[in-house]
Amino acid sequence: MAARSGTPFARADATAQTATPDGAARAGAPVAALEEVTFAYAGTERRALDGVTLKLWRGETIGVMGASGAGKSTLAKCLNRIVPAFEDGDFRGRVAIGGRAIDGSPVSELAPRVGMVFQDFEAQLFSTNVAHEVAFAMEQAGLAREEIAARIGPALEAVGLKGFDDRDPTSLSGGEKQRLAIASVLALRPDLIVLDEPTTDLDPEGRAEVFALIRRLREEGRTLLVIEHEAEELRGCDRIAILRDGAIVAEGEPASVMGRLALLEASGVHPPDLNRLLGMLEIHEHAESIDHAEALIRAHFPQLPRVERSESEAAGMVAEIRAGARTDTAAARPEPIAQLERVSYSYPFGPRVLDTVDLAIAPGEFVAVIGQNGSGKTTLAKHLVGLLQPETGRVLVAGRDRAGLAPAATAREVGYVFQNPDHQIFAATVEEEIAFGPRNLGLDSGEIGRRVAEVLGAVNLGAMRGSDPFLLSKGERQRLAVASVLALRPRLLILDEPTTGLDYREQRKMMALVRELNREGIAIMIITHTPWLVAEFAQRAVLMRRGRVLFDGAVREIFTHEDLLAGSSFRMPEATALARRFGFVALSPAELAARIRESA
Amino acid sequence: MPIYLYIDRRSAIHRLHPTVKVFALFVMFWSVYWVDHPLALLPLGVLMVALAQATGSWPNFYRLRWLFILLIFFTTLAWMVFYRRGPALIDLPIIHLSRASLVFGFGRGLKLAELLATSVLFLSTTKVEEFTAGLQRMGVPYRVGFAITLAFRLAPLFIDSALTVVQAQSLRGYDFDRGGPIARARRYVPVVIPVFMGALRKANNMAMALEARGFGIRAAPTSYIDFPLRPRDRLAFAIVAGIGVLYFAIYYFGYGAIAVS
Repeated sequence: MAARSGTPFARADATAQTATPDGAARAGAPVAALEEVTFAYAGTERRALDGVTLKLWRGETIGVMGASGAGKSTLAKCLNRIVPAFEDGDFRGRVAIGGRAIDGSPVSELAPRVGMVFQDFEAQLFSTNVAHEVAFAMEQAGLAREEIAARIGPALEAVGLKGFDDRDPTSLSGGEKQRLAIASVLALRPDLIVLDEPTTDLDPEGRAEVFALIRRLREEGRTLLVIEHEAEELRGCDRIAILRDGAIVAEGEPASVMGRLALLEASGVHPPDLNRLLGMLEIHEHAESIDHAEALIRAHFPQLPRVERSESEAAGMVAEIRAGARTDTAAARPEPIAQLERVSYSYPFGPRVLDTVDLAIAPGEFVAVIGQNGSGKTTLAKHLVGLLQPETGRVLVAGRDRAGLAPAATAREVGYVFQNPDHQIFAATVEEEIAFGPRNLGLDSGEIGRRVAEVLGAVNLGAMRGSDPFLLSKGERQRLAVASVLALRPRLLILDEPTTGLDYREQRKMMALVRELNREGIAIMIITHTPWLVAEFAQRAVLMRRGRVLFDGAVREIFTHEDLLAGSSFRMPEATALARRFGFVALSPAELAARIRESA
Repeated sequence: MPIYLYIDRRSAIHRLHPTVKVFALFVMFWSVYWVDHPLALLPLGVLMVALAQATGSWPNFYRLRWLFILLIFFTTLAWMVFYRRGPALIDLPIIHLSRASLVFGFGRGLKLAELLATSVLFLSTTKVEEFTAGLQRMGVPYRVGFAITLAFRLAPLFIDSALTVVQAQSLRGYDFDRGGPIARARRYVPVVIPVFMGALRKANNMAMALEARGFGIRAAPTSYIDFPLRPRDRLAFAIVAGIGVLYFAIYYFGYGAIAVS
């Protein structure tokens, strides 16, 4: 890939090397090379990496995908010797940076050559102001004060944080924090930048910011290794590697890898929806963008209508949706389980987080609450369970004003599953963890046993009832957290970003569980940033911005309001966006494929 | 709500040399340590109130207001049990309410509150980088100084995590207030375990991130921030040293103690 220069922080030598995708013109040593690397963590025989060989050439961007536990992070950590320096285990093979083996090098000495950005942005910021944060690694490397000062500005400019020098990093948004972490790595001018799932904990706006930056760095000719769950984000890479059970099972240009839908699914990777759609239509090609997918589909189905996007077209769609809506959002609803009436709230010394919010959740509903971080979603949910009391307005649970009631008083009505399951798990076994809630309610042992058995089956953890919860995978711990709240038999279950940090397979498993609970009659309110999850699972969407409810209606309808979604940085699923070009509203690739076939 | 105490202002105290601020922290602790009588502690309290006003640190004091109130109240009460001197004003079975026990207990409470207030003032006006630099100038090795200041950064994160865990467990019907003091302490196990596990995970991630950024390549890293010693720093140093000497003198010459008749 020919290097391009652009931002003020472009490497001076970025144009010196070129590398073609087939490697023919690559000269000299690769920037980084793993040769037959095998690693098993201490205490386990399973190999986290199993004979991995991978070369990264200058100016190349490699995307690495795979399910949780496939070995992605282990691979990344081998590049700066965190594995095996920090992780006990059996390491074999060779890792070289710039042609030189790094065996025995301290991790810190590799910092100027391999920059690493971690998923947990809170754990990689150490300073009280942005400029100091960028300076930190340069101070460690012993750069002179003048040199440090000269590099801070360009590094911040490169990541779009110019002018943020004096800001406290804790006051930044998630996306800004992650860009700051990248700036502090960039300032050292390393040969290779490794980004280990840098957007997992970010909202859509933060994700978009970080991926825009990654694209810019790629254009500057930097050498990048990006680990990511979502295939759509890695379409622009030079090469993709798929890891499964510690081994690379596919490697090549995105077009050659992303069309292998069965392989991606089997590897726990979410295949790009556009490719899934093309596969369903038996168009065996890789779509690089929505435009490209549209062109490919039109070539095969020339009779498909061309729709000019206009207000009248959108209004027509809304009318069509309302006529056949799955959910009636206002009229003829039964008595709500929980209700907010003109609720406003501000944290001490803070701005207003909820502003005269009205919301009612009826039995059996499946509601998705969406919006940027800080829009008030979690604050709203905490009012429903009594963790916060409104400044003005009131909260009703099962028709009762919950003012003055302790959170536990309505545990049988409304359950709340926190975003991080590790915030509640403490017991020695899965069974005991689930029994904790019913025991607090004072139920007898027979009833507790019945409830534990019931929810163990519901969340599919029956085989692990005696296991130590801390040894479960993140997905299993998340299901355990749901189970431990379900055991209280709430009529409304609130889940705060339950799929964060889970791979595609685990996300699907979690959502299948939630859908099943909903079918059994439990109302669901899910706070999420994941567009496909809203489209495929929820019936009603509530869009929040700056403490206000901007939209409350059917999921189908919200996807006709592009302006509202764009204003909240909520990207509609690609299949849904593509459907609009044909004049349809479709919430999944399967639905769109069916509509296209019908029209054809 | 901010989880750290530092308040970014440009007050004269904020702009003092870090070594002077670290020195002032120790001197205030020292001064509070030597005296017991509330009247002797009062000038230090007034000084702290003035400094809180001058540095704009009131929001932090407001956040911790209950801690200050409870600290003074319960310490006063506790010393009425253990400090049984002077003629009793009111005769109760456990509590010995005398003028002496009241003054002594209140003095102890004030003392603890002033130690807390000193720390709050210091953390409201000093960045962790300054704290590290201040310790380093006083001869503390960089790694040790950094570890100490990192602990100050981590503590609020752990407190924040603990509050979330308390919320999560109360929503599962858990009552933290049941039973006597020991039973109540034991009832915090469902909080301690998740916080401890989270702290371990966070510490591990942080250690990796630190090494990945080159922490420890050199025993004494360079510093981006320049801390020149200005005349006002020397003046502040002299004033602070004077306060330390004065309070030692108050103790040495027998003032500041509580006379029991």
